[in-house]
Amino acid sequence: MSKIKKLVTNSRLFWDYRELLWNLANREITQRYKQSALGYAWVILNPLFQLIVMSFVFDKILHVASLGVPFIIFLSVALLPWNFFTQSLGSSSMSLVGNSNLITKIYFPREILVFSTIIAKMVDFGYSCLVLIAFLIIFRIPLTIYYLWIPVILVIQLLLTGGIALFVAAFNLFYRDIQYLLNLIILLWMYMTPIMYPIEIIPPQYRFVMSLNPMAVIVNAYRQVILSNNNPNFYSLTIAALVSTLIFILGFITFKKLEGQFADYV
Amino acid sequence: MTPNQLPTTNDHRLVAIRAENISKRYSLQKQKTFKEFLPALIGRKETRVQFDALSHLDFELEKGESLGILGKNGSGKSTLLKVIAGVTKPSDGRITVEGRIAPLIELGAGFHPELTGRENVYLNGSILGIKRKEMEKLYPSIVTFSELEEFMDQPIKFYSSGMYMRLAFAVAVAETPDILLVDEILAVGDQKFQKKCLNRMAEFKTRGSTMVMVSHSPDMVRKYCTKGLVLQNGKQLYFGDIKEAADMYEKMMEG
Repeated sequence: MSKIKKLVTNSRLFWDYRELLWNLANREITQRYKQSALGYAWVILNPLFQLIVMSFVFDKILHVASLGVPFIIFLSVALLPWNFFTQSLGSSSMSLVGNSNLITKIYFPREILVFSTIIAKMVDFGYSCLVLIAFLIIFRIPLTIYYLWIPVILVIQLLLTGGIALFVAAFNLFYRDIQYLLNLIILLWMYMTPIMYPIEIIPPQYRFVMSLNPMAVIVNAYRQVILSNNNPNFYSLTIAALVSTLIFILGFITFKKLEGQFADYV
Repeated sequence: MTPNQLPTTNDHRLVAIRAENISKRYSLQKQKTFKEFLPALIGRKETRVQFDALSHLDFELEKGESLGILGKNGSGKSTLLKVIAGVTKPSDGRITVEGRIAPLIELGAGFHPELTGRENVYLNGSILGIKRKEMEKLYPSIVTFSELEEFMDQPIKFYSSGMYMRLAFAVAVAETPDILLVDEILAVGDQKFQKKCLNRMAEFKTRGSTMVMVSHSPDMVRKYCTKGLVLQNGKQLYFGDIKEAADMYEKMMEG
């Protein structure tokens, strides 16, 4: 009973501070490219060059199969959401440590710092998707009813991202090793996720590894609904959704348990 | 300025801050990284140092009262302010705080150098829990109070430190808070501006705000506070009338 009451007070407090969530996200977006000549265009230029170079390597040099669509489209459908995922985790790991002046001075629900940085990265992700939209138009990829799955997949991705981000942000406050460990894990994770190659080329006996990786399921689902004109694999998407929700809940509980100590350790 | 939004502030029986037997124990980790921590753990070396910043404080402050916290350096004054601000939890006991808190502790904590004065005002307002609509009403008075009319659309990295503090103070005191936390003497700007700050604090007092002030100066707390709390090494030596508290503190400093 008291747990439910606590959840209600916590949610109300979070609601009271919703403006802070937007303002902090806005602060992160507006300050980042101030005093740079091209400004926010970097958000588009960065993934664009990344896509061009990677397609050259994996398509022209390594001849990786790409589901019968131009490789650069095949790659961007997976790489852009992946970038959103890793950039969110990267900046979340610094979101508490980098705002130590706020944490030691003023009380507000600390998860706002984590969520606001994810929101800022989601705005970047939105802009970078302009590149993808341009490719979809250039290569005449048809718009289908299956695109309606995209918001569903995005929500699952957000739950997974938010859950891991809460863990990473909280633990990095106690041990700064987490941020370096995170870089390593993300790099390895990228190779274990079908981003630069289709899931179909993995030998069947190793496929199960991919179903344990929620990001593999998410990335593959984007490809299925955008490029293959198909429903996503409902079974693995459900499992990914459950795993992501569980990670989010665990991350949130852990974060809230540690919150009272943040100011003492940061 | 809008009149205080709480109709209950005239009711003097209402408790603003209640500390029930609160203690704060810092258990400091000696090792900062895994690399240092793991060998220490395996070698059964001491990994934690315990340190009582506050022990068994017990006091109650009614709405509209003002409390002066006195004590030498390291006696736990700032830790107590942090506990009241809700930034850190007491490790034992319970603290109840009613109402919106304005911490004049570290001014401009949420300011970002690349943003303009105007952007920072709105951002800092939301950190302090003031709604945007409310901020729009308060904005003109903030600008006037800070005397920075011509500089509001410039990034505050171009501000002098005095201008920075003036703007931060103006935001922090824009709305009458239920509880005002003040750390040390406010060294904000020139004498004229300092007087303005002190006047504003006196104004809050007449509007029924509760104030908690940390100070080294007995004269300052005698002037602004009704209650006093003397701390020594985290322990509560005295809580009660400000005159007694200030006298006691003066004796303590002599002896």
